[in-house]
Amino acid sequence: MVRLFFFEFRKHFMKKSLIIVMICFSLLNVAKIYSEYHEKSLLSSSANPDWHELYWGELYEKFKGVMTKQKIESLMSIYQPLEQQTADKTASTESNNPNTYTGNLYNDHLFFKWNFVDPMEYSYMYQQYANDVVKNANENLSFFESLGNDYEYKKNSIILDRFQGRSIDSFSYTEMFQYYIHYDFSAFLVILICLYALMSVFVTEKETEMDVLLLTTKAGGQKTIFAKLFSASIFVCAVSFWFGLIDFIAFASSFGSLEAKFSPIYAIENFADTALNISLGEYALISLMVKTIGFLIVSYLFLFVSLFFKNALLPFIISLFFAFGLIYFQEAYMGSERIILKVINPFSLVVHRMLFSGTEFVNIFGFPMLSYTAAICFGIICGGIFLLAIFIFQRKNTIYRIGVKQRGDMVV
Amino acid sequence: MKVSFERISKKYKKKWVLKDFTSHLEYGIYGLLGENGAGKTTLINIFVGILKSDQGRILINGTDVKKIGIDFLSHIGYLPQYPQFYKEFKVMEFLRYMSVLKGIPKEQGEKRAKELLEMVNLSEAKDMKVGALSGGMRQRVGIAQAMLNDPDILILDEPTAGLDPQERIRFRNLITKFSKNRIVLLATHIVSDIEHVANQVILLKDGELLRQGAPQKLTDEIMGKVWSITATDDALEEMLHLKISSMMRDDQGIHLRVIADDKPNDHAVHVKPNLEDVFLYYSSEGEKW
Repeated sequence: MVRLFFFEFRKHFMKKSLIIVMICFSLLNVAKIYSEYHEKSLLSSSANPDWHELYWGELYEKFKGVMTKQKIESLMSIYQPLEQQTADKTASTESNNPNTYTGNLYNDHLFFKWNFVDPMEYSYMYQQYANDVVKNANENLSFFESLGNDYEYKKNSIILDRFQGRSIDSFSYTEMFQYYIHYDFSAFLVILICLYALMSVFVTEKETEMDVLLLTTKAGGQKTIFAKLFSASIFVCAVSFWFGLIDFIAFASSFGSLEAKFSPIYAIENFADTALNISLGEYALISLMVKTIGFLIVSYLFLFVSLFFKNALLPFIISLFFAFGLIYFQEAYMGSERIILKVINPFSLVVHRMLFSGTEFVNIFGFPMLSYTAAICFGIICGGIFLLAIFIFQRKNTIYRIGVKQRGDMVV
Repeated sequence: MKVSFERISKKYKKKWVLKDFTSHLEYGIYGLLGENGAGKTTLINIFVGILKSDQGRILINGTDVKKIGIDFLSHIGYLPQYPQFYKEFKVMEFLRYMSVLKGIPKEQGEKRAKELLEMVNLSEAKDMKVGALSGGMRQRVGIAQAMLNDPDILILDEPTAGLDPQERIRFRNLITKFSKNRIVLLATHIVSDIEHVANQVILLKDGELLRQGAPQKLTDEIMGKVWSITATDDALEEMLHLKISSMMRDDQGIHLRVIADDKPNDHAVHVKPNLEDVFLYYSSEGEKW
């Protein structure tokens, strides 16, 4: 079986064309991440070299780490005068002012506001926000208990459990993770690579007329299908992890920092309502795994579609249509309150921010299930159905079909 | 080893493509001869389990193939029609892959593959990619893969289609070489493929078995029904309604080889029938000129 798997992998995925596509897309991905950094980062070394130098050279060291009263006072002693001076917009717009950090008062104001004051304020205030959520959840618990509404009671109980004791004690540079979490281009590239690579898995056998020959060998039936699916899964996982690694390394190297890896995920403002209580570093890992599950499910759909065709072009187009359909479906219901429509879409696992950024529930037979758990469960069921369908619809030898296997019945 | 086909039938939509096919095979080369669409490939596909018959059964030494189950596949070697194999695989790599598919242990498969490449004269090409092989070489790789598991039954579906004369001869000789102690079922519509190698010929027409027997026996059966006529261009027109198997022009006129139960012309003389005449006698209404 192991040798069969290696042959299947060699047959479908160790192709020159595929390796070239992988290299090209990897380079494209790195280029895209670098352009993201230069276009979006407040501290881009090319767009804002002064800010970059000021932040990393002097001020970050001063304010990073546990937010103490002393640090806050020190920051406010710089920021408050700047805010007062720029409040009525009558301050000097001189750009070479020697009494400023960046040469300009307004620039100084924005620099401190965006890079230190706002993020520190959010971090400082988060504990209060979480406490409010816990308080509301507690009130809801009593209320729904009195009403006998078991579902809402359980829901609030989970919220209470998840938000209790939350606080962001340290200030760290979160910009890298902010953009890393919101980066989807590599997912699109992985989908395209999978689409290209997987189309040949079943179609090649028909194109080469090997499908008939395979069926006349002992391992050419279900064992080969299993080896195909296993090798395809390994390939998809490898591509997903490869691009995950590229994303992480390219983001870390371009933004120049992994400072926030131990900060809680809710240190990112978009994730203030998340149900997760993990660090950003852990989230990066979990995110990659969930994304990979999403890729696998979508890939099984592609494989299932390709099963019915003799050449790769038509299933490629149909699968592409399905992929875009799922993307559209996801976009359309991204902000919807009908959570079920989000979680049944396997593509929601590929681009899964919306699942993890809030605390949403799906009613599963009266039990509130967190939306990301439900999405993973639905995804796994969906993937299982595709795999089963592949086994059912794949052509079989009539000997297998009959299912009679009586060893030792005769000696030939 | 004895293979028995008992009333094998297959229907596509409302048409029988194989009807009550009954035959018994023992060691030797069996030429399955028939026109395109006669049911040869259908019969083979049913035999190897790719298609399910609507009626009938296949017995191996008296046991139904269905009862033998998957183990039956260990006893067959199969070369399908027009195989392309995997262009990216090297010849030896392909044979290794086929060994894995056939469940042959690694070392045994390696040894057997090398032996077979030697036998089919492809040792030099073992590191060539399958996509770079000529049609004849590819067919030799095909028969090598079919022989990997040392099968009791070797099934070859139109193995010489598209080969040049030299490769055809080489391939025919290989079949003879591999026929020792096994049943070889060779499906073709090219009479010369089996004329000199088959121990038995199975004639199929429209899905039905017309005749089965040794080539000599079949030719003897139509002894006296094959004629030679030499005609002029003017007289040729009147003879075109006959079942003509060949025409050849020389200085004396046009020599026609005609198949007919009765003497077709006063000048017609008997000639010794060959297998092509048998094929023509049973299979069609004759060439329409």
